Amino acid sequence: MSKKEKLLYPFYIISHPFDGFYEVRHREKGSVLVALFLVFLFGLSFSLNRRYAGFIVNVINPRTVNSYAEIISIFLAVLLFAAANWSVTCLTEGEGRFKDIITVIGYSLLPMVLTFIPATILSWFTAYGEEIIYYLLLLVSVVFFSILLLIGIMTIHNFGFGKTLFTLVLTFISLLLILFVLLLLISLINQVYLFFESIYTELILRI
Amino acid sequence: MKYKRKKYKKLYGYLTFVLALILSASTTVSADSALPYETYNFDYWEYVYYTPAAYVPESSLSGIDLGVGSLSNPQDLFVAADGKIYIADTGNNRILILNSDLTLYKVMENFDNNGSPDTFLNPYGVFVTGQNVIYVADMDHNRIIALHENGELIRIINNPVSEVLPDNFVFIPMKVTVDYANRVYVIVKNMFQGIMAFDENGSFTGFTGTIKVAISTYDKIWRRLSTKAQRARQVQFIPTEFTGVDMAPDGFVYATNIDTKGVQSVRRLNPKGQDVIKKKDGSLSGDLWYRLAGDYSGASRIVDIAYRDNGIYSIIDQTRGRIFTYDHEGNILYIFGGRGSQKGTFKNPVAIEAIGDVIMVLDAGRGEIMTFTAAEYGRLINEAVSLRFRGDESAAVEIWKKVLLLDENFELAYVGIGKSYLAAGENKMAMKYLKLGMDRTYYSIAFKRYRDDILKENLGSILTIGTLLFVGTGIILKIKRKGGTEHE
Repeated sequence: MSKKEKLLYPFYIISHPFDGFYEVRHREKGSVLVALFLVFLFGLSFSLNRRYAGFIVNVINPRTVNSYAEIISIFLAVLLFAAANWSVTCLTEGEGRFKDIITVIGYSLLPMVLTFIPATILSWFTAYGEEIIYYLLLLVSVVFFSILLLIGIMTIHNFGFGKTLFTLVLTFISLLLILFVLLLLISLINQVYLFFESIYTELILRI
Repeated sequence: MKYKRKKYKKLYGYLTFVLALILSASTTVSADSALPYETYNFDYWEYVYYTPAAYVPESSLSGIDLGVGSLSNPQDLFVAADGKIYIADTGNNRILILNSDLTLYKVMENFDNNGSPDTFLNPYGVFVTGQNVIYVADMDHNRIIALHENGELIRIINNPVSEVLPDNFVFIPMKVTVDYANRVYVIVKNMFQGIMAFDENGSFTGFTGTIKVAISTYDKIWRRLSTKAQRARQVQFIPTEFTGVDMAPDGFVYATNIDTKGVQSVRRLNPKGQDVIKKKDGSLSGDLWYRLAGDYSGASRIVDIAYRDNGIYSIIDQTRGRIFTYDHEGNILYIFGGRGSQKGTFKNPVAIEAIGDVIMVLDAGRGEIMTFTAAEYGRLINEAVSLRFRGDESAAVEIWKKVLLLDENFELAYVGIGKSYLAAGENKMAMKYLKLGMDRTYYSIAFKRYRDDILKENLGSILTIGTLLFVGTGIILKIKRKGGTEHE
């Protein structure tokens, strides 16, 4: 696959999700790099939307918008979801590899990448009563994303619809578990660190 | 020679600059830095920002200043229509009447009860009607007394009888107010059903302003899960008590209540007893930010309200001794005051009254009346809000501009100016100001008009470009298709 083809493949998936994701899994048509790039673009457009959406529709305090933090947290969320989904589907005989899951998430984000910035620009020209178009645009892209993600997960793991939903519920549970364990780990490391720090202080003060 | 003179000129310039710096440094000690409290406000995002002083303390007045001995736990203050000031000196069982220039006019200790002399026992609240009839909430005698200034009794309200009152009900009146039709509204201790209303004959007619108890879903589930013995020991869900009451000239009762959640502490009750106050973005309860534990913590404990002219009202917070002033739409205008021992701060504020631009606060802890006068900032805001209340928004614009010179964060001023630009058809300026004032509704109107103007002006060129594009793409497509067929 040429570079150009790889870059344009997400657009093919938008119109042919079943075939497209099948070929991601079985014919190596996907690219993790392109997927991560799409995640980055989504983070960027999401943050730009929060900061630059028109006054009429923008109810976000500009002082709370931090693009770095938002882009990084979106990356972390994608990683977390992928890890959770992978660990669940491994046990439920899903065929997808970790890189397939990342690819599916990244490629499914494309509709949102494509609409968030145009919607932001559109919001500069809308008044009350017309802002519904803006919200509709955002809603359609979010729904599109969810459908693509669902189809993608279904296809790469070779699941039925019911099993996909079931594993998604399990994914969210394991997501919470991962978060819990992470928090536990962080607090434990913190405790250990504090322990050694207090030993150090004691020694410094006594010697 | 020429060069030298230039140099001298430069030197002279530097000198004046340095001189100006020294002078300005010595004169920047403004009035508000000498105040014992901060004046602040909340912006659209609920951030605290500090403003110039709206009110400055003028004088304090104690019982000794009046020559009647120190006041003992005074609980209520009232300014009558003729300017006389009434103080319920609760601990000394008397009512003090002062002239409007804060000199003693009269001390009322007893009155003539159908031939026999009678006294007060812990008079807690006082109210005076336009006909100079004094209503006293004689708390520990369980009655309301209406009497003339010379001690002549008019009527006594006691022992209200009704089916809705419990059998063991004790009438302990705390605060009283009377409307133009001589209906009496009484805040009664331990009465959670609302303010008790009496008709002109003194018979109980019902409750007004009942506050509904809001139980959250969480509490409901928790109660469902607990046993009967546990439930008995849990905190009961009872409505909050009213604390202070004031009568607006239009007959609406303004009442304050304790709200530990800090959502709504002020109510404006119509004659049917319904709350019709206007709130902005939900909160009408003093401070938006407070510590949850420690000294001076918790939501503002609003204990009294003073209705001022033109829809403005001020409430006082006992916890932190702050006075909050709102307009008729629930916009907060300015916040000042505090707890402390300096002049202008309070030990235990219990009552607030206003005469024009003067605010008086009764401090029960110190037995003093603290008087505040409006500084320029406060006076300008009062004036502009009053003009706006009367519908004269165009006259308010000049004042709003002066307010902005003193405080460029005052959003209400931006909205006022923006609306006047909107009315004048200067849509672009209106948009700028309404955006600064964070008023989306009016901004939207201004924006729509601005957009229409631009479209109208450029309709010709837009249509031309559109047609050209349409025709152009058509031609290009046709050529391409032709080229394609030729290839085949």
